[in-house]
Formats: sequence, C-alpha cells, structure tokens
Amino acid sequence: MTNHFNDIRHSKLLFFIGSNAAEAHPVAMQYILYAKEVNNAPVIVVDPRFTKLAAKATDYVRIRPGTDTAFLMGLINQLIQNDWYDKEFVRTRVAGFEELKKEASHYTPEVVEDITGVPAKEVVRIAKLLADNRPGTVIWCMGITQHHIGSSNTRACCILQLMLGNMGKSGGGTNIFRGHDNVQGATDMCVLSHSLPGYYGLSDKAWKHWCKVWGVDYEWIKSRFYNKKYMNKPGFTLARWYQGVIQEDKITQYTPIKAVVFWGISSQSISQYHKVKKAFEQLDLVVVIDPFFNTTAAMCEKDNVYVLPSTSQYETEGSVTSSCRQAQWRYKVVNPVYDSKTDYEIMEEFVKRFGFADKFYKNIKKIPEDITREIANGCLTIGLCGWLPERIKKHTDNWHTFDIDTLQAKGGPCDGEYYGLPWPCWTEDHPGTPILYDISKPVAKGGLPFRARFGTEYTYPDGRKENLLAAEGVANPGSEIMGGYPEFPGWKTDKNVIKEAIKRGMAPFGNARARCYCWNFPDPVPKHREPLHSPRPDLIKKYPTYPDKPDHYRVYTRYKSEQKPELAKEFPIVLITGRVVEHMGGGDETRSNKYLAELMPEVYAEINPRLANDYGLRDGEMVWIESPEGGRIKIKVKVTERVDDKTIFIPYSFSGMFMGRSMLSNYPQGFEPYAIGEPANIVTNYGYDIKTQIQGTKECLCRIKKA
Amino acid sequence: MNKKIFLGLLFIIGALADTAFAQTAPAKAYLIDIWYGFYNAIVGDWAKNAPLFIEYVTKMKPVYLLVVIGVPSVFLLHYLIIGPKKFSHEGEQILYYDVFARIIHWLAALFFSLLVFTGLIIIFANVFGGGSFVKFCRYVHLISAFGFGITVVPMFLMWLKDMLPAPYDIKWFLILGGYLSKKKRPIPAGKYNAGQKMWFWLATLGGGFMLFTGFYIYLFNTSLETLRLYTLLHMLLGIAIVALFFTHIYMSMIAIKGALWSMITGYKSADEVSILHSKYYEKLKKKA
Amino acid sequence: MAMKFICDTERCIACYGCVVACKEGHHLPIGVNRRRVVIVNEGKPGEKSISIACMHCSDAPCMAVCPTKCIYKREDGIVLHDKTKCIGCGYCLMACPFGAPQFPKSGPFGARGVMDKCTFCAGGPAPTFSEQEKQLYGQNRIAEGKVPLCAGMCSTKALLAGDSEVISEIYTQRVAKRGAANL
Repeated sequence: MTNHFNDIRHSKLLFFIGSNAAEAHPVAMQYILYAKEVNNAPVIVVDPRFTKLAAKATDYVRIRPGTDTAFLMGLINQLIQNDWYDKEFVRTRVAGFEELKKEASHYTPEVVEDITGVPAKEVVRIAKLLADNRPGTVIWCMGITQHHIGSSNTRACCILQLMLGNMGKSGGGTNIFRGHDNVQGATDMCVLSHSLPGYYGLSDKAWKHWCKVWGVDYEWIKSRFYNKKYMNKPGFTLARWYQGVIQEDKITQYTPIKAVVFWGISSQSISQYHKVKKAFEQLDLVVVIDPFFNTTAAMCEKDNVYVLPSTSQYETEGSVTSSCRQAQWRYKVVNPVYDSKTDYEIMEEFVKRFGFADKFYKNIKKIPEDITREIANGCLTIGLCGWLPERIKKHTDNWHTFDIDTLQAKGGPCDGEYYGLPWPCWTEDHPGTPILYDISKPVAKGGLPFRARFGTEYTYPDGRKENLLAAEGVANPGSEIMGGYPEFPGWKTDKNVIKEAIKRGMAPFGNARARCYCWNFPDPVPKHREPLHSPRPDLIKKYPTYPDKPDHYRVYTRYKSEQKPELAKEFPIVLITGRVVEHMGGGDETRSNKYLAELMPEVYAEINPRLANDYGLRDGEMVWIESPEGGRIKIKVKVTERVDDKTIFIPYSFSGMFMGRSMLSNYPQGFEPYAIGEPANIVTNYGYDIKTQIQGTKECLCRIKKA
Repeated sequence: MNKKIFLGLLFIIGALADTAFAQTAPAKAYLIDIWYGFYNAIVGDWAKNAPLFIEYVTKMKPVYLLVVIGVPSVFLLHYLIIGPKKFSHEGEQILYYDVFARIIHWLAALFFSLLVFTGLIIIFANVFGGGSFVKFCRYVHLISAFGFGITVVPMFLMWLKDMLPAPYDIKWFLILGGYLSKKKRPIPAGKYNAGQKMWFWLATLGGGFMLFTGFYIYLFNTSLETLRLYTLLHMLLGIAIVALFFTHIYMSMIAIKGALWSMITGYKSADEVSILHSKYYEKLKKKA
Repeated sequence: MAMKFICDTERCIACYGCVVACKEGHHLPIGVNRRRVVIVNEGKPGEKSISIACMHCSDAPCMAVCPTKCIYKREDGIVLHDKTKCIGCGYCLMACPFGAPQFPKSGPFGARGVMDKCTFCAGGPAPTFSEQEKQLYGQNRIAEGKVPLCAGMCSTKALLAGDSEVISEIYTQRVAKRGAANL
C-alpha cells in the first residue's frame, strides 16, 4: 500500500479491481464506507463476481476473468483521448508516456467490450467518473495478481493512478490489501526464493551486505552452496516447488527436491493441488511446523512427515508489519500451551543442531528484540533503519495519542511521528512515511519522491531519448536540489549515506519519474494476453501469450505450448476461486473453530441459475468439477446470481477431502477440523505469471458433471 | 399493545429509512423491496396471528383459574343442596366392566390425571416458582402423553359401540341427567349416559387432538405460525378437558355413592342401573 | 432511558463478526444464536444485510406470555430472564417477532433446554460477576461499563448499542451526512 487504511477516509473515489474487501478485509471496510458516506465517493467494483463488496458499491462492473489489463488500458486510453489525465503530473513525474499512449490507443471502448465483456459505454462512463473524482484510490488484491499476466495487471493499475495524478496524495495511491496479518512483514523479509531480506536480490553485493549484517564470513556462506551459480540463481517458488519433486516440467537444478518444510502455511493454497499431493508421496521428508495439525500433515500418507507444534501469535511476541507498512509490537498474552514452542525456539534449536549457531546467531542475544534490531541494521533499501524495538513498543503502548485521520501523534511521547513508523523510516528519529511518493512534505517529515532506480536516461526502441529524473522544480520542500536527482551512491549499504541525504532534505534513493515503460519486463507497457486456458479461442490469435520460459525459477514453464484454442470445447466453464469471510486462508485454523465451522460448514460451488438449469443441477446437489490437468472434486452446488452464466466460483479455504475421498482418518483422533470439504485448488489450472510465477487461479477452465 | 410491540421493529425501519438518501447505486431493488425483504426474513408472518396468540395466551390463565376454582365450587353447592345419589348395593349385580376394561380404564386414568395436573402446573408455573419442579412436570407431561397415547386406543375401541349417540341422549341433556332433582326416577340412558358419552368423546378424540398438537409443541418441528395455532387450540381444548375431568371425578367418587366400586369390582347393582341407565336395564331385561 | 440496538444496513457487510463475538464471548453451545445476520437479495443488486438479536422491546410480548413470569425488564430497558425459573416451554419464541429466544437441545428426550437469548451483555438475575451468572448468562459487560460485545466488535460500526437517545443521535447524524453528501 502506498497510503494507509485510515487515509482511505480522504478518498473521493474508490476503485476496487479484483478485491473482495468485505469478505477478505472486513475491518478495512469502516474506512471505505466512511469515504463512501462522508465524501460521497463513488465505489466502483470491478469483479467477475457480484461480491459482498459489490453489494456496497455504487457502480458494479462485471468483467470476464483474466481481462483486467484490457479494461484498465481501456480506461487509460479514455483518460488520454479525452484529455482527462493529469498533464502536469505526467509532465513532471512520469516517464514513457508516449509509449504508453501508443499502446493504449489500441484499447478503444469497442475493443475493450469485445475482450472484457464490459459495455463500451460503461468503459467511458467509469473513466469519466475516475477523472471527475480526484483523488481516488485504486485497491486490488489477488484478483489482479493471480494471473499469468498478473505483473502486467498490477502495473496497469499503477499507470492508471499515474495518469490520474493520484500518486503521492492523501486519498489517492495504489492500495493493495495484504491477505494475512504480517504478510507485508514476511514480504519485507523476502521469504522468497529470489531475494535476500529487504528486497536486496541475490547479487554478490547483496550477499556481502547481509554477511556484514549477520557478521558471517562471505566465503563460508559461499561454501555452503553446491556451487557459486546457485548462490545468485532464484530458487523454486511456492507455486511450483513440487515440480522439483515430480518433474513433469524439466527442472534446471542439479538434483530434485528431497525435503520440504511447511512453516505456518497452508499447502492447499497451491494450485493443481493433486500434483502437490503426488510430490508429498515422493519426498523423503516433510516437516510441518504449525499450531494446528494441518492439511499438509494430513495429506502426507507416506510415513515421511514430522509435525512440530508451534505456538500461536498469542503465545509469543515480536514486531509485526501491517498491510500499510506500519510496525506494531505484539506482546505475549499467555505462555505456550502443551508441548508447543515459539517459532524463535524452533529456529534456534534447528540452528544449534545444524551446527551454525555461532555463525547466524551471533547477534541474537535477546529474543525477539535483537532480531528486530538486526532487521533495522540490514534492511536499508526500504528504510527500516528507524525500526528499533524500543520505538515500536513506544508506539504500540501509546496508540491512543495518534490521530485517526493522519496517523500522526499529537503530543505525547511520540509527538509528530506516524503510527507504526510506516517504512521507509530512514533514521532513528525519522517519523515514518505514511504516504509514499508524497512530495508535499520534506523527506525528513515523511515525504518521498519516486525512486531513481533505473538510471538517469533511457533510449526507447524508436530512438526517443528521455530523462528519467523528475522535472525541474519538482522535489520535496527543503531539498538541496529542486528537481530530479539520481540515487546517492552506496545508500543501500551505508546508514551514513542515508543520514547525509536526509540532512540535505533529499531522498537517499533519488528523485525520478515513474516509468510507464518498463524495459526489463516482457511487456514494457502492459498489454492484454488471453489466459492460457481461455474460454475465447477466437481471441487467442489476436492476444497470444508469451513464448515458453525454460528456466523460470528453475523449472520449465509452458506458455505458448499450453495455450490451446480447442481446450475451451472440452472445458467450457470458467473457474475462479476466492475467499469467504468465515474462513482464513487455507482455513486450518478457522475450520477448527466450532463457531466459524457452524457458520460455513462445507465447501460449495457458486453456479448461476442459468448454468445450473442447463446442466440440470439443483441447489444443494453434488457435482463433479474437473480440470484439464486431471484434478476433480466432488462439491455441493449453490445456485446464485453472484456469478454469471459462464463462471463458477469456489472458496479455496477448505480441505479434509481429496478427489472424493475423505482424509479425516489421517488426522490424529480429536484433531479433525469441524468443517471439511474439497480444496478448490485441486481443480485450478496450469498458468503462472511470467515475472513472479504467481499461480493463475483466477482464470481457470473446468467442466462439470452431475455426481 | 401492538403498537408498542412494534417499537423494536421501528428501529429496523429507522435503520432503513436513510436508504432513501444513500441509494446512489443503480440498484434495481427499491427501498420498499428491501424493507419487505428484511420484514419477511426476520418477522415473517408474525403479524398474522401472533398478536392474537399473545392476547389470548395471556387471557388463558384467568380462564383456567375460573375453571379450577369454579367447577369444584359448583359441585360443592350441588353436594350441599341436592346431595349425592344413593343406591342399594345389595341384590342383583350386573357385570358392567370386564377385567380388561378396568385395567385399560385405570391405566388411562392414571396417565390422564397426570396430564391434567402437570398441565395445570405448567399453566400456573409462576405459582410453583418455575424452575426444576415445573420442568420435571413438563417431562412427566411428556411421558404421560405417551402412556395415554398407548392406552387410549383400546379404550376407544372397546367402548366405541356403546358410546354412539342415541335419541334419548337429548332427553338426558334436557333434564341434565336428573342430577338436579333428589327424586329417583328412571333416567333415559343406555349403558352409558349422554354425559359419559360426552366425556368419552372428549377424552378420546379430544385427547388425541391434544396428543397431536402437544407433539408439535414439544418438538417445535413445524412453522411458528402453525405452532401458535396449535398452542392456542391445545390450551382452549384443555379448558374443556379440565372442566369435564373434574366433573368425572365428582360424579364417580362423590355424586353417586359407591360408583367408584363398580370400576374396581366391575359390578353395578341392578338398583343403580335401573335408575341411571334405564334403557340399558330394559334391554337386559328383555334379553333375559 | 432505554437500551437499544441499531443496525445500520448501509454499513453492515454481513461479516458475522457480531455472531462469532457473541458466541465466543459467552461460550454458547452450537445452534444457539443469540445474534444472527439476515441477508436479503443475496448475490443481486440491492443486497443488504442486518444483524438481529433480542430488540429489548419496550412492551415485550415474551414477558406477557411467559407462564413462569421469568422474563423481566430492568430499569434501563434491558429485557432479561431468569434461567433458574424458565421451563423451556417456548411460548416466548412464539410471541417474539424477531425470533430472538433460543433453545439448546439439552434436556432429556431431546427436549428443549431453558431459553437463552441476548442479554445485552448484562448478565442475568444471578449476583453480578458471580460464577453462576457467567455460567448461565455469560459475561456482564454492562456492569463493567462496556458496550455489548457484538457492537464493540463490529468492524464497520454498523451495529450500535446503548441508550436509545444517544445511539439514535449518532445514527441521525450519520444519515444526515449521507443525505448532505448527495445534495
């Protein structure tokens, strides 16, 4: 999120695309409804499904799954064609506008109508609404990201806000609601295969920086790898790790994966789950670390699984990061119960037994304060330098002194600071940055320009040269250079450089333009590509997918060879997955809560009355849903008009059944969840984002058969 | 009263009133549709007969009180003014009830009395302080209902023929069974007089209806709308049953001296039969 | 003074937070819903939801029909009942327009147990904060000076609870703002 939840109260328009905040983020709804009521902000919801959020919308747009980029580019085109875009903002702070204009011009309302199914008139109307109500905020979630063009989708959203001039403004911004508590924290720690903590990447420079922070010898770390190549090579992702075991697609690694650790994650959130199950059967070792005996443990039917009971969040303490980049200290409420151990303890025991406690654990004397301190020492890129445990605790203890509107403390021990020190919090006395890219405030007071990450000048393929730094006169107040400036050399690894920059009123990472044309992406300007499994074979030719990518996070990933126009004949129905308000993520925790299980006891497939009648299905009847990859689930029909007559929706939070077979016998007695059902991800399809390899669970095809 | 009951409801209406302003959505649902949607989902058909239910259920208690106090008082007066009928229990004895009939009668009587008394306790629950005693009575009420349900069937079958109405029953009603006079005159009645017949039909068919409604009230397995109706009928019919129950006890135990013994030994004296069941006595005579 | 609930249907998002908060807070058995959420026009334009519990009626019909007279009204308008007196007859449910009284199946022969309903988080006739009160009626948050759990937990502040004059004032202001915004 570039802004924060409370800031949504200032929005004059709310544009949701691929988000069902009413079910996935109910607590955020108070700010959304506040803006709707008090600012009379139009609430535009773009979604294939008439969600509970859509029920609160003023304008609901039903869109065909997987065509978000086309719709967004259609809006951008309207803004440009009708001169509704923020010309001054584009002139001073945006790069690659000409290239964007050229690409966007293809998406006329009629073209958009053909691709997305949204009436041409509606596209123009929504664009006008966006232009008339500024600043507006754009909010998205997994409905945007979980596509094979997910990275294009997200960029299209950002470009839309750039065109509207809504970036860096209170009430504007791109606000991506994170799906779980502390997911932003996990992301900042880069619990990912392609980066070290703090988004440092895997370059030698990054390794050396972190070796310095940890106090570990770089050469020793290097010696731990099979060879140097693997030190800089992204590993498998969550979405496709199982291919490293079953090797249906060719892997580019010297050995298949032999062991896997599931630490606080629901494996049933991985698409094509029946293949994940196959991987469980081939692995030598599966370790599950969770407060609950979860689905992963129950799915391992070979005697290869160890379950380590960890504590819940109430039995441990530490800093957590909210969706809006704020840190908060979470205190312990009760001591760990039964045999459970805190995650810190489990990690410590591991490190000790592996024999490198003297290396990685050098700085950790007091848990968890020293861990937080180490993070502050290491994550300079996102400015966590100011996140000292004492400061975070002080904020948490004095939360009542902060203003609900601006997050700024009025008086008290945290006077002038923003609640939770939203990062970047550059120095130990920086107040935090509540709104990213806001040039109306000095950097030392929470202002920020766009980051200068990609040099100072670029030559586009057509020969046009453009200065990538911000225009003359555009900088934060008090900046030594009133205009664009490049990044300070060495700011990512040296705190003193950061301090020096702040002292001069400048951002350590420079002051640049936001790019509409990203030359390091497969599609420099976002463009529509039909889903791999498209229900519109006629459009595949016009908007084909990418060529296959052989070494995509160590595994061959099919694009072109997977996109077959004839598939839609056999699998004519579009499948999307999503959340229900009663269950959380994979649901291992919530389905074991009797009250939540009572409210939502079993899984269902939402089917439009028209589709149900065509197949002769009645409400409550059982039906088989089959995916092109061979997954099939037996599921109850819920006839509803939430979905249209080409789409079915399944909540993904269930497990306990597997392709018609009950898995309850695999749970220890008394540990079975109350609510059970087929994991929806058994029938989600092949398809992964070209950049991030996120799974495309919101653009699948399937067929249904009466059970 | 109804107006006040709706006060709570008014808050929902209030909660909806603003939709008139805030409805900026191009929704095809009108305010009134939404209001009716909520009304139907929450209140449903409550307004149809629940106010009636509330009104009558609250009035039922005094009526029962009247019956419980009034009926015995009338009998007390009758006892004091007219007094019981006395018959000679010597001489010829007529077998009136065989062993089977007696057993069935007493079993049914046991369950029936339990039903009546526990039923009254439930109605006057506040007098008994509610709680576990009355709750216990509810369970007794249930078990007795099962017992009565089993015994009422043979009872109904064995007496059905003799309980069919006859023309002279009208005459019996006209003189109120002769209970208002002290004179011993043959009273027009078959094996069972019209009063007994009335009691029989009320106890069996009425009892059956009580079982039927009671079953639903106990299990709550029908719509609230139907339940309200059943509960009202259960209580209304209960008034008649309680009144006749007291009458039956008074007649058999007090008003006719020794009548109780006929249900124990099975025999009635010819003297009694010739007066109280004159038509039956004539028939017996003819047969002999 | 009369304690009331107001549910703002423009705000309610049917998240069931109130329902679960109530059950979890008072440790209610499965099947007993002191509070429930009603959705109309589900999945269609005009979808609206409302959270419903005992409305603590000014002239409560349940009080009139109860044979044990165990339902009573406090001075602040909260309608409570004495579970030690209740016999589980169910007349209150037949009289209630909102379906508030709940009956757990706890007695012998699948009989209804004693009635359970929203207490406005004000406990019951048992001594305040006693173990008996907690067992029978759940928490007594009113005595602690807190709002009922459901209203306290409501994520969008749709559910308001308190003195009817105060909450209707809050609500009126909200509606006025909405109205003004549309001018």
